[in-house]
Amino acid sequence: MTFSYSFKSAFKSLCREKWINLLSILTVASSLLIITLTAFFLYNVEIIANSLPERFSIVSYLKDGLSSEDTQVIIDTIKRRADIAGLKYISKEDALKELQHTLKDTGYILEGLTENPLSSSIEIKLKKDFVTPSSAKHVAGEIKKIEGIDEVYYGEKIADAIHLLRRSMQNMSVIIFLTISSGVVFVTYSTVKILFYRRKQEIEIIKLLGATKGFLRMPFLIEGGSIGFFGGLIGIIGALLFYFAVTYRLSMVIPMLKTLLFPFEILVVLPLIGIIFGIIGSLIAIGRLKL
Amino acid sequence: MITFQNVSKYYDNQTVLKNITFTVQKGEITFITGPSGAGKSTLLKLMYLAESPDEGDIVIGDFHLASLKESQIPYLRRSVGVVFQDFKLINSITVFDNVALTLRIRGVKEREIRDIVSNALKKVHIRHLSDSYPTSLSGGEQQRVVIARAIAAEPLVILADEPTGNLDPNTSIDIIRVFRDLNAQGATIVIATHNRELFKGSGNRVLKLDGGNIAGEEAG
Repeated sequence: MTFSYSFKSAFKSLCREKWINLLSILTVASSLLIITLTAFFLYNVEIIANSLPERFSIVSYLKDGLSSEDTQVIIDTIKRRADIAGLKYISKEDALKELQHTLKDTGYILEGLTENPLSSSIEIKLKKDFVTPSSAKHVAGEIKKIEGIDEVYYGEKIADAIHLLRRSMQNMSVIIFLTISSGVVFVTYSTVKILFYRRKQEIEIIKLLGATKGFLRMPFLIEGGSIGFFGGLIGIIGALLFYFAVTYRLSMVIPMLKTLLFPFEILVVLPLIGIIFGIIGSLIAIGRLKL
Repeated sequence: MITFQNVSKYYDNQTVLKNITFTVQKGEITFITGPSGAGKSTLLKLMYLAESPDEGDIVIGDFHLASLKESQIPYLRRSVGVVFQDFKLINSITVFDNVALTLRIRGVKEREIRDIVSNALKKVHIRHLSDSYPTSLSGGEQQRVVIARAIAAEPLVILADEPTGNLDPNTSIDIIRVFRDLNAQGATIVIATHNRELFKGSGNRVLKLDGGNIAGEEAG
């Protein structure tokens, strides 16, 4: 029963102090929208970053004059490694054909050659988790030690870039999340504190009638949680408007935007995040007040 | 029911109450009288810990106030119904909700609250004002709402601070009649007043306060 009274009291206060509550709800909504957009940005960067390792490879050039048995031994040695996702052997002849195909109209450059100057090579794909600057460097070093391997090349800069992009995006997201979360908590903290002082006289009367601290605090906790909840709901509306604006309107001008994916899962938890932040803000506010 | 043992209270080195000792028996109606500033209101406030005594001990029912933990104060206040001099009504809620509040604090079910509030308002003859707001009521009507709130939860003790201070003589007689009815039903009542007409000829016990001391005791 006390719980139903607390709910009624909280919602009455939400309506009575509608302007201050509305302002807080909109501030919370904007903050949660920024969190959603950060998640959207991070989600798409992760998808792009995840697809980059598939394009990353280590190319090992074989020494000239190796027998097919020696070549097979090298291939088998590389295949046995746990960090290798797959490999492709490219013979001298195939390499030349590929070069001719690449040069197309300028293929006449190769006409003067009396013999094939290209080396046989093995293109090695690493497993996703090993596409880091240190792993790639380590694998390339190990492969170079194998008997019959002449040179090893790998996209050092690509590996670095992928790693850097992921790391900075994750760091940036954490910073944004913490900053915005603190902001949301502060907004509900301030609102609940103001609402408390506006009802101070009423609270004093209720105290004299025998109310416990829990009875006095509960409506404020509910009010703070409600501000977060409604902020979350408006945040969902904002996020959906953003999504449709990007996928329908902006993609007409920039078709690439059509490939962007939206993490719809976050929309479900947005009101919940709002409630949690709202309650935390209220707890801090009423915890610091003398009841 | 109520025991004061050598209770003193000071404000900024000024003595408000000095070595007050008295006992009120269960079912008794006691008047505390004296001039303005005698310490009547302070004495009542000590009983529901709106103020704390600086010396001595007070016992209300099973509550020893000197050793009472902070978490127990709400439960002490629930066993005491107070008729505040300045009413302390919440103007944003109706008369019904003002009276019901004291029951909601105690966790009484809504179904029961309706009947209890209705009965309490009936006792003070203002059931028809149930849906009104305090600001639309006269002083006498507000006073009755406060009494209804104080008696609704059937507390061990009813404390009334100048309950007729804002009322005309006829309404004052009405209010005192309400208290006498409650007392007849077994309620222990302490009334602080400077209006001698309220207890004259009643035969009730009267404690006279003057300069922070009990200056005498008589039958009204």
